[in-house]
Amino acid sequence: MTLGDALENLLPPDSTLRLGELQLSRSPEGSFRAVHSRNRDSMEMLEKLESLAELREMAKFDANNEYRPLKTAPTLKCGWFTECDEPAEFIKRLDAIYPGLFATWVAYDAGDLDPVSLRTTLDRQTGMYRFAGTINDQMANEIMRDVCSPGCIRKIAWPIDDQCAVSRIKPHKRFIPPVCTEACTFAVSKARELVKKAYDKANAPEQS
Amino acid sequence: MPISKPDSALLILGHGSTENPDSSHPSWEHADKIAATGQFGSVHCAFWKEEPSFRQIWPMIEEDEVYIVPNFISEGYFTREVLPRELEIEGHNCERKGKLIHYCDPVGIHSKMTDLLIKRAKEILDPGVELSETTLIIVGHGTNLNKKSVEAIKDQVAAIRESGEPFGNVIDAYMEEAPFIADWKTLTDSPTVIVVPFFIADALHSYQDIPVLLGIESEPTEAASQRDIFRQNPYTIMGRTLYYSSAIGTDPSLAEVIVDQVAYFDEHYRS
Repeated sequence: MTLGDALENLLPPDSTLRLGELQLSRSPEGSFRAVHSRNRDSMEMLEKLESLAELREMAKFDANNEYRPLKTAPTLKCGWFTECDEPAEFIKRLDAIYPGLFATWVAYDAGDLDPVSLRTTLDRQTGMYRFAGTINDQMANEIMRDVCSPGCIRKIAWPIDDQCAVSRIKPHKRFIPPVCTEACTFAVSKARELVKKAYDKANAPEQS
Repeated sequence: MPISKPDSALLILGHGSTENPDSSHPSWEHADKIAATGQFGSVHCAFWKEEPSFRQIWPMIEEDEVYIVPNFISEGYFTREVLPRELEIEGHNCERKGKLIHYCDPVGIHSKMTDLLIKRAKEILDPGVELSETTLIIVGHGTNLNKKSVEAIKDQVAAIRESGEPFGNVIDAYMEEAPFIADWKTLTDSPTVIVVPFFIADALHSYQDIPVLLGIESEPTEAASQRDIFRQNPYTIMGRTLYYSSAIGTDPSLAEVIVDQVAYFDEHYRS
């Protein structure tokens, strides 16, 4: 099954579906539309974005014109919509907003994408991130609490280590779960920061 | 070079940035340009510091054969260690979960880069400036962690000198190792100096850091895309005329170099 087939199955004609902050809809005739969920009830005054470059540029900055390096940050701008007839083209447009989010769900739901534990991700790092793998469980929880939870719409599907059990995220009729199968660069950077902070504290000269 | 691979995907790899919004821009521009030609079944980008990440890219690619071209300036730590590790690939040719993977050389070491550097240096000069009265500086990052990045620039400098182009002099300089770009006034003695950054994007280093080291900005500016004016060449500094170009990786011809790396792969590495 292609990604286009998967999209057509999940979003049949005359239906709607949520994907993160997006409201996806399909007309009775079969064409696809994406709009920010806050704009779903009124299409008036919305700017039509048709090219991938326009959509990428829209998703690059938030409403305050701050750079959004993490595309799944809960700060997607309102005021636009995009629509097209072909499922493959529509997936490209979704990828311009949420890179890979749809394909990740399809692969995860099919059992083709196994989540990678946080420790496996951190232990793999080299260079300036090579000590990130020395975090303790408290730091791991701090990463999820301070970085992942407030900063990203994805739902964590990875365990802290391979001994931890984590429930599989189930499909839903009304939305596509935005799944996170592996900690991203922000989590890795935070792990490095926490390890460095702990090291500096342990090695700080004693105050006389 | 014309190429037709409708059953293969092209994957362009970039560094990306969590701080500068312009870092990934050239990779996307080249990808869109190549996709419009229809030479590949699909064209994708993936990044170290942006999305889609190297770890997120595989479910997005549906073709069974994938050419991977690192949009990096040199071989070294990233192209030999980080990218293969994160993508879970090995060597130039491998199979990964049923897909045939071809890992090409990075764009920066392609022989066409020399012509692009020369073109870029000439096109920013005002009419009437004699090349023989100029020094061309190819500037790179430089780091003790990766000698290959310096080698790539030294190779380009040697190739430009051998090209017969009548620059008064051609030298290399770096941000973080000698010869330092901050010393350009003593490294050169010509009335006119042209500086071309051997970087992939007009991002943190080439747009914000190096202008401070050159003395054309007193402190790092906003990102290029956030300013109305890109540059106002030439700059007059202590009686010398300085031209500073945008990064070589932003040249539209880089899209052709990416495709050429695929062609080169087929000729030299394909098993």
